[in-house]
This record gives sequence, structure tokens and C-alpha cells, in this order.
Amino acid sequence: MIESELDSVYTQLCKTMTNIGETQSSLFLARFALLAVAEIGDAATVQRLIADASEAMDSAQKMDTTSPTVLPV
Amino acid sequence: MGYEFKDYPFAAKHYEAELPALADGVETKRHAVTIVGGGPVGLALALGLANHGVASVVIEADDRVCFGSRAICISRRSLEIIERLGALQGFQEKGLPWTGGRSYYRDTEVLHFVMPHDENQKLPPMVNIEQYYIEQFLLDAAEQRSDLIDIRWQTQATRIDAREDGATLRLSTPKGDYTLHTDWLVGCDGGRSRVREDLGLQLRGTSYEGRYVIVDIELKSDRPTERLAWFDPPSNPGSTILVHKQPDDIWRIDYQVRDDEDSEEAVKPENVIPRVKSHLEMMGETGDWSPVWITIYKAHALSLEKYRHGRVLFAGDAAHLVPIFGVRGANSGIDDADNLAWKLAFVVKGLASDRLLDSYSHERVFAAHENLSYGTKSTEFMAPPSFAFELMRQAALGLAVKHAGLRSLINPRQTSSITYVDSPLNSPAERSAEFQTGPRSGSILLECPVTIVEDGEVREAYLTDLVAPRFTAFYFTETGTVPAQWKDLGVGLSRGSVPFKLIPLTQRLASDLPGVTAWDHTGRLFDLYGAQPGSLYLVRPDGHVLGRWHTAEPAEVAAALEQALRS
Repeated sequence: MIESELDSVYTQLCKTMTNIGETQSSLFLARFALLAVAEIGDAATVQRLIADASEAMDSAQKMDTTSPTVLPV
Repeated sequence: MGYEFKDYPFAAKHYEAELPALADGVETKRHAVTIVGGGPVGLALALGLANHGVASVVIEADDRVCFGSRAICISRRSLEIIERLGALQGFQEKGLPWTGGRSYYRDTEVLHFVMPHDENQKLPPMVNIEQYYIEQFLLDAAEQRSDLIDIRWQTQATRIDAREDGATLRLSTPKGDYTLHTDWLVGCDGGRSRVREDLGLQLRGTSYEGRYVIVDIELKSDRPTERLAWFDPPSNPGSTILVHKQPDDIWRIDYQVRDDEDSEEAVKPENVIPRVKSHLEMMGETGDWSPVWITIYKAHALSLEKYRHGRVLFAGDAAHLVPIFGVRGANSGIDDADNLAWKLAFVVKGLASDRLLDSYSHERVFAAHENLSYGTKSTEFMAPPSFAFELMRQAALGLAVKHAGLRSLINPRQTSSITYVDSPLNSPAERSAEFQTGPRSGSILLECPVTIVEDGEVREAYLTDLVAPRFTAFYFTETGTVPAQWKDLGVGLSRGSVPFKLIPLTQRLASDLPGVTAWDHTGRLFDLYGAQPGSLYLVRPDGHVLGRWHTAEPAEVAAALEQALRS
């Protein structure tokens, strides 16, 4: 997938969820995840993606509690 | 701290209104071209016309160049154009060149992007410079051409009537009002264009709700020039912040306003200063600073359907409003001016049918749609228009640190030159398609160093230095010897007064030939253009490729030119 295709499917996801509405979007994402799981068809890969996706959320929550740090130039 | 505002370190010259020779309140002289709006686009157009020897009148409501830094990023393509307009020097001396930028999510760098740049380039991908300098340097160049450019300061167009053979303008100045007649009128009068309004035309497209506060501050800092973006930074949780360095120790800080904030409240210094202070502290900028200018911005993605309406044309913000993100506003306006200048000049001089101006509209409306599509993507990321865009952005930013494949979603998609893919001026596509590589018809030239040899004199230069107010045929050859039938092509076209020059691009230094040749001293040029001895690129006055041939007959090239000018 080239960058412009990634852009376009990203936007399509955003627009689809906007149309579905906020309350139904979790369900939409769950359905999308299951379809992606079926399409990937490899348990190890799916398990790695689950770990990656949840890890980012863990670290995001941790970052919320850290104090502001000075950024590198 | 107090809110001591400082002034920009720039003193604009003020200009008086002048009345031309009048008879019964009507200017005695009828003009070929009148440009409403003396901003970057209007001045660039007047300079472009002057390059072709065509005079114009510029109607400017103010008495000086603009206030405020406004458009601050000028692209390589714009610099190329500005060089042909004779105004590059100031941009090179004053502007801050840069090649890339960084994006942060919270306190982590998630993207370091670099714009296309290599050893073949003459000019940087981007320079930062305040708009008052942009206008001043263009104005300085225009004042050098006062024989052809007549700027009417403090002159307001109060009524515009379009007619079949031109337009009539009612103009108001502190010294009195008058009427002006013109054969051609170009509206370069910005987003609130009076010309557009009086013609009853409307911009169409999308306006976004997300608002950004734009703050200029004065701050001394050695930090390099790059585009810096923060999403949800610890200094201002939930906000998005952009930081750009400008000349003269001016810094631009843009940040998104919360949906529940009132616009008038948002620009009050007591609400702006603490956010800026907090962010500068987070960046580690501890020096003294002062606010200079505060304004608020809302993104629009709007365009007219056509930029030609009979004898009236539109360019720049008067024709289209593109979002600020990706810096396509001033840059696309300068490209409009460059595209229009040669076409209008050819029509005024009787060298082309007025349908050439329809190709201006065709090409630049297409460019605006390309710009709008990129600008819209950037806007949807920088100012998410719904919970879904917000949620997906949070996911993309959080994953981008570890998953490089997602980083392109964060890339700001800075302006790049547009290829006029379906232009009516392009020569037959099947001939262009015979090339394996190189710029196709409708594209701009690829830059490459060359050694220009002019009547025995040798100088290091670049290929784009050979673009001039004429059609240029680049003939690729080993030694510089051009078959006689090609020389006749130039003569044939000149008889019809079409400005044209054939320039041999040589694999070996040809210092003993008359006229101009350019030597591919790096050995990269032929490969870059997919060319072999005998290949020919025909280039428009605006530097776009009209057509290219591996083995062309002069008659075929002449026909391509004729078709472009007369169809």
C-alpha cells in the first residue's frame, strides 16, 4: 500500500465512523477488527498486533501522569 | 507579565494616491490590462507581464505593503518564479531556508520529515519570510519596471462592470474618484474579492469549524529553522501547536482553539500569553520575548468553478481559498500569476487566440483541486472535523513512534508543484510516453546543474536559468551541432513573432559554437530527462513542459506549438 492509499483508507475510516456516530463507533471498530483478524488468518500475527495496539495505550496513559519534560532541540 | 506588544522590525514606505489624466472623470487612456490588488499575486502578475513587454495598471486600496507576517513559507517552485520576475535576491538575503520538520505527540517525537532536496537543486525546498518582505521585494522589482507597471496606491475599486470587450472600473481615492476602462481585468484582490462580488460569482466548497490562533512573537533563539508541530503537548493538553522561525527573531506560533472557546475571547492577550509562555517553557526557550501580532484563522477549502469569465480573470485567494496547513495559499497564487502572465501577454500581443486563457482556467482550477485535496487532508489531521477524525488521529499518533508505516499519516504534506496532467496545451501523450523517465508533458522541469556557454563565455548555472519569457526547445546532443532543419524552426516561428529559442544541451563542452549551449558537466542531465542525442523537450515560458520527443520532426514540434497557441 502506497502513502496516498493509506491516506485515503484512513480518511474513509474516519468518514464512515462520522456517519455511524460516536456511540456505534466502538462496535464498528470491533467488527472491523474481527474482519481484519479473519483476513490476516495467522494467530501469531494477530496476537502481536493486539499487544502492539494495547501497548501504545498503556504508554499513553503513563504519559498522562508524567510531568512536562524539556524537549530536545 | 504584562502584555507589552512590540512592532515588527520593518518600516513600510507609505505611498500617496495619484490621479491619472482625466476627461470628465474618465481616465483618458484605456488600458490593456488592469490588475485589482497589489499583494503578492497582483505584483507577481504585473512583473510577469512586464517580462513579456506588456504594460499593466495595479489598483491597490492600501498605502503600503501588508501589515503582519501572514503567509510566511515560500516554496522552491515559487522561488523559481520569483527569480524569473527579478526579485529573488531579497528572498535569498532575508529568508530562512529549511528542509524539514518534526512532529511530537505529547512529549515524544513521532515524525521527522524531510522535503525533497538533493545535489541537483539550486534553491532550498522552502524559505520562511514575512509577507511584508515578500510584497516589498516584489514591489522593489516592480518599481524598476515603472515603464510598464503603474501602481495606483490608496485606490479602491468601488464598482466593476464587465463588458464583452473589457471592463469598466469605478475607482475612489482620497484625491477624487474616476472611471477606468480596460481590455482585460484580473481580480487578485484576495479572499473578499470585490471583483468576484461585483460579477456575482461565489466560491464553492467546504469551510471548517476548527479555529487556530496565530501569534507572532519576538524571541532570540538559535534553534534551527524547521516546521515544528505538537499534538496534545504537556504545555497545553488537548491542543495542537505549530511553531515556525521567521527572519528578524520573529517566531510564528499557531494553536488550535477549543470548540467551546469564543473567538473574541481567544485572541485576547490575557488568554494567549499564558499558553505561549507555557509552550516556550516546555520547548526550553528561556529568553525574553514579546508578542507582536495576534489573529485568528479558520480553514476554508473553496474555489470558483472557472477562473476566466469573458474579459475578467481571477488569481490567488480571489479565485480559491486553500487551508493554511501545507502552505498552499500564497504559493498557489504565485503559480496562478506565472501561468496567467505569459498567456495574457500572448493574447494582448496578438500571438495567441484568447482561448489560450481558457487553458489558464483549466490548468489552475485543476491545480486548485489538487491543492484543496492535500490541504483538506492536512486540515482534517490538524483540526479534526469530527470525533472520528480525532479518535483516529489519537490512534495514529500513539502508534507512529513504533510503527514507521503509519508515520506518513502525520506528514504535513507541504506544497509541491502541480503537473497539468490533462492540459489542453500538452502535446500528444503517446510521444511523451516514449520516455522511460524525466518530466512528462504538463510537469515542471527537473533541476540540474549545467555549464552555460554563451558566445564563448562559460558559467556554472542551472537548467531553470534557461527558462525565459519565450518557448524554449532543449535539444539534447553530443557535441552541440544542431541539424539545419531545427534552425529553420526558430526562424519560421519568429516570422510569426512567437518568442522562441532552441538551446542545445551537450554531453561535451562546446565552447566554440555561436549562441547559447548548456553542457551537462555532471553527466546527470541526460539520465534525469531519459534523453538521448536527438531528444527534444519543448518548454513553456512558465517552465512547464509542453511536449517531448525522442525523434521529432521540426514540423511536428511547430504543430504542437501552433496547436497550443491557436486551438
